[in-house]
Amino acid sequence: MTHLLQVNDLSKIYGSHRVADSISFELEAGTSTALIGPNGAGKTTTLSMLAGLVTPTNGSILFRGQSKPDIRGSIGYLPQYPKFFPWLTALEFTEMAAVLSGVEKTQALTEAKKTLEFVGLGDAMKKRTGTFSGGMKQRLGLAQAIVHGPELLLLDEPVSALDPVGRRQVMNLLKELQQKTTILYSTHILNDAEEMTDQLLFLRKGVLVENGSLETIREKYANPRILIEFESIAEAERFAAISPWAVEKVKKHVSIDALQEGVGTPEVVSLLHTESLPIRKVELQTASLEEIFMKVVVEE
Amino acid sequence: MSSLNTLLRKEWRENIRNFKLYWIPIVFVIFGVLEPITNHFLPEIMKSVGNLPEGADFLWPELRGEDIFVSLMSQYQTIGILVIILAFMGSISGERKSGTATLLYVRPMSFGQYFLSKWISVNAIVLASVWLGFFAAWYYIRILFNSVGAGEVFTFLGTYSLWVVFAVTVVLAFSAWLSTGGAAGLSILVLLVFQIIDGVVGIYWTVTPWKLSTYAASAFGSSADQAAYWMSIGLTAALIILLVLFGMYMAKRNAAKTLV
Amino acid sequence: MSDLANIPWNLILPIIVLQLILMVVALVDVIRHQRTNGPFIMWIFIILLGGIIGSIVYFIFGRRQE
Repeated sequence: MTHLLQVNDLSKIYGSHRVADSISFELEAGTSTALIGPNGAGKTTTLSMLAGLVTPTNGSILFRGQSKPDIRGSIGYLPQYPKFFPWLTALEFTEMAAVLSGVEKTQALTEAKKTLEFVGLGDAMKKRTGTFSGGMKQRLGLAQAIVHGPELLLLDEPVSALDPVGRRQVMNLLKELQQKTTILYSTHILNDAEEMTDQLLFLRKGVLVENGSLETIREKYANPRILIEFESIAEAERFAAISPWAVEKVKKHVSIDALQEGVGTPEVVSLLHTESLPIRKVELQTASLEEIFMKVVVEE
Repeated sequence: MSSLNTLLRKEWRENIRNFKLYWIPIVFVIFGVLEPITNHFLPEIMKSVGNLPEGADFLWPELRGEDIFVSLMSQYQTIGILVIILAFMGSISGERKSGTATLLYVRPMSFGQYFLSKWISVNAIVLASVWLGFFAAWYYIRILFNSVGAGEVFTFLGTYSLWVVFAVTVVLAFSAWLSTGGAAGLSILVLLVFQIIDGVVGIYWTVTPWKLSTYAASAFGSSADQAAYWMSIGLTAALIILLVLFGMYMAKRNAAKTLV
Repeated sequence: MSDLANIPWNLILPIIVLQLILMVVALVDVIRHQRTNGPFIMWIFIILLGGIIGSIVYFIFGRRQE
């Protein structure tokens, strides 16, 4: 099967600065992929190269297995801070975007209206974009990116600049779009990534350091621990003394590295049972995506 | 083709909504009306306000209507050109700097059509302004001086218009190439400073765009070297085509400089 | 006063009208927009007192998009 998008050895070098360094990955049709990394990791440059704005220093981009010179018609792109001609109305802008992206002139106005309704700008479509708030601009940005029904949506930090309400609204739109098209979006907010992602790409200083599904990456970096909270410190101390496994004890809490030989929740619970130690809570903890993020792209 | 139409409509809307479609013609027409009036009444004005010593009687040169066309043209050659440069220096560079160009450049549009949409609309506004200005002057010249034949006026306007198109093309090509400030500086050098240089040391060459205004004035009777005139027209037309191609190429090459 | 009567007002009137149009367009734009490079009160004065040049200078340097 050919991939929707195949990126090979993509590099962008400005002077001696490698903003993107031999990035390779594939995107399958119908999936959502999150490009994750701290500021300055090369997320925007990578997306700009895919959008055709920035010419790569090196590497190739194959769309449906072919290296077409211009794939801009098959792509919808939303920059982090979309800028619009302030004198145009939302409808005029979206219609223009549709025609320039190849929508039939007779269809463009209808498509533009439909798309603006979809992103919730139905009432504001006759207003000039110069009067729009940040949240409205983001939604208009989404509208211009999808009005021509692109096969691949590239979104640069689509919700980072929004307040919690606006963020929820845009996230809901994206989840709906996820059903219809392939999405590659960058973010540094991991909750978003957790919410709609089939594949994660971790960028650090222009290098793709990790690439996989949420599950595989979780498993790799999970570092599971069993955490027990006792009624009192004395009980915690007694448990630590008789435990056959290495434990860490902090006041009433005891944590056990679950990757040790013979450790499992049944064993721990049965030990607690036979010793009849009163507890408040037993839980299996896995690393949050945030901890993984710190480990993969920040540390070292 | 439909992209060019769409881009032209965008330019049209822009120039209406930022008032350039109105204020630029008004400015050129005001100059066109003022020129014949001030020239006609200047002797009287000087007489009434100037503290001329008793008995001093200046001999004012006897101006013909044709001379007023030429003196209006020299106004346009300085103030007019400056207005054109300042009004349109950011046509392309400004869209890159503000980032409004980004959402155009990520679409499958041709940079040739993008540049052409600017070139056509700016030329339309500027040529209309220049022509309206001269027409207004023509009307006043007929009242205050003498009537000037249509044949001479249109020959004059035709030749001068080619210089105007050249000036617009220079500004737009530089705007595609450089930042707004750079485009303004270099345009002023090429369109205003070169004019002065050509006026001072230009006797050594005859075929240049900077002499087109002089050749245009020769429509009113003063003789000009016909061969040099037509070669200047050919050279200017060729330079316009080259600058358009250069502008298209630069708009594309600088696309990555748009603010993301 | 006889000088005033000599002035051909019918010839000068169009200039005054055009200048007024230019000024009104600039003023309407400033007041409706209220977004200028520099304080917008300053631009109102420039347009009102600067004549043709004032309005041109406003359109070229004072006007700000967005």
